[in-house]
Amino acid sequence: MKVLVSTFGGDDPEKVLSAMRHIPYNRLVLVGEKGTERSEGFARLRDLEELAGHTIEVVHVECEDFLELVDSVAEVLVERTSEAGTKVTGTVTLNISGGSKILGDAALFAAFRVGVEAYHCDSSVTKLPVLKGASAKDMFTPAESRFLTSVGSDGARLDDIARYVRAASKQSVERTMRELKKAGLVTPELRNGTVFVKLSETGAEVARAIRACPSRD
Amino acid sequence: MVVFGTLGYRPRSLIPTVRSTPSVEKVVFYFGADKNEPDAVRKVSEARKDVVDFCKSMGIAVDPVELDDPFDFKSTALRIRRDIRKHKAAGKEIAVFNIAGGTRPTSSAALLACILEGVPTVYVHDVTYEEIHLPLLRMEYNRILSGEEREILKALIRNKGKDLTEVELARLVGKHKATVNHHLRNLVSKGALRLERHRVDSRKKIVTVEESTELLLGDLD
Repeated sequence: MKVLVSTFGGDDPEKVLSAMRHIPYNRLVLVGEKGTERSEGFARLRDLEELAGHTIEVVHVECEDFLELVDSVAEVLVERTSEAGTKVTGTVTLNISGGSKILGDAALFAAFRVGVEAYHCDSSVTKLPVLKGASAKDMFTPAESRFLTSVGSDGARLDDIARYVRAASKQSVERTMRELKKAGLVTPELRNGTVFVKLSETGAEVARAIRACPSRD
Repeated sequence: MVVFGTLGYRPRSLIPTVRSTPSVEKVVFYFGADKNEPDAVRKVSEARKDVVDFCKSMGIAVDPVELDDPFDFKSTALRIRRDIRKHKAAGKEIAVFNIAGGTRPTSSAALLACILEGVPTVYVHDVTYEEIHLPLLRMEYNRILSGEEREILKALIRNKGKDLTEVELARLVGKHKATVNHHLRNLVSKGALRLERHRVDSRKKIVTVEESTELLLGDLD
């Protein structure tokens, strides 16, 4: 199954049409704000899809908070990737040119986060430098990923993290912490004689990104 | 400190970032309009003047960069990335890149350049003008691609337009054909390049780098 996911704003069907012309697909998924189905642009796309005996799936998103929007688009991509299957014929491709600026930018961000092939389709078509399957998770070792995702929004004690990640030794979890500190992702501090670890703003985004990545276990 | 930004009709989408950033020495912003739309050209020109006047009155150096085609995603991304790298190479610290203004392709191209270069990015809400700092994750592909894969991509980019076959590529990088074939398969599955049928000899395959790899190459230096 080839799935084409495109951002859509209702009044810009040309951009989605450009994606439909250039990217092979079996199923079209549009990501847009509530009410996009009432637009003339949507009616045009729906009629075209009906000619091929297909329907359009519409996923509604709220375009208020950028990072929530990134989460929503990433979730759509992860779900459709899992549905499309792992065979060579199963692909998910994203077009980011439709809809509002904030939606397109959030979709671009999500593509990098989960490693989905992405395009900007307008009068010209540009393939974005996202490596398929190379997600935020691949930037870190498994130990670093587990460490980051084990620190909650309020932080955690290093001893608790070590238990959670099942570290082989105290030294190994401390080494991971030092690496992540050097990358500006965590800030350790001493509280009542115990090491307490908090995520930096970037660290929190990385942890979100890792959690959003499709599991390969 | 250098502030980068994209500008459309509204100077208010860029000026607050200049004000909220400490010790700004220089502002670089990208602007442009569809030349066939006089109204858009006029509005963008007015916004440009307002930002330049603001910077001058604050004693901040300003570099307004007019884009030939603000709807051309790829050339805009390449231009912005080149400028960011030029400033970094000159030892300048880029405080933030405001991607709120300008056309949609310009804004997305700026975001792409920021992701690839690890530049802090800020978005300004359309209605409230509130600054939203995006905690960007730098995508360092040299941590994802192996040394051999990077070497192959570099060789292909250097020899762009030469229609190299697998055998010729293996000779070029000094590796066994089977080794190169293994890496090529990986790179094809990652979408970094594709194999096309040779124009004369259909038994052979030409190794072609995806255009997007050009945007990626900054990390492979």
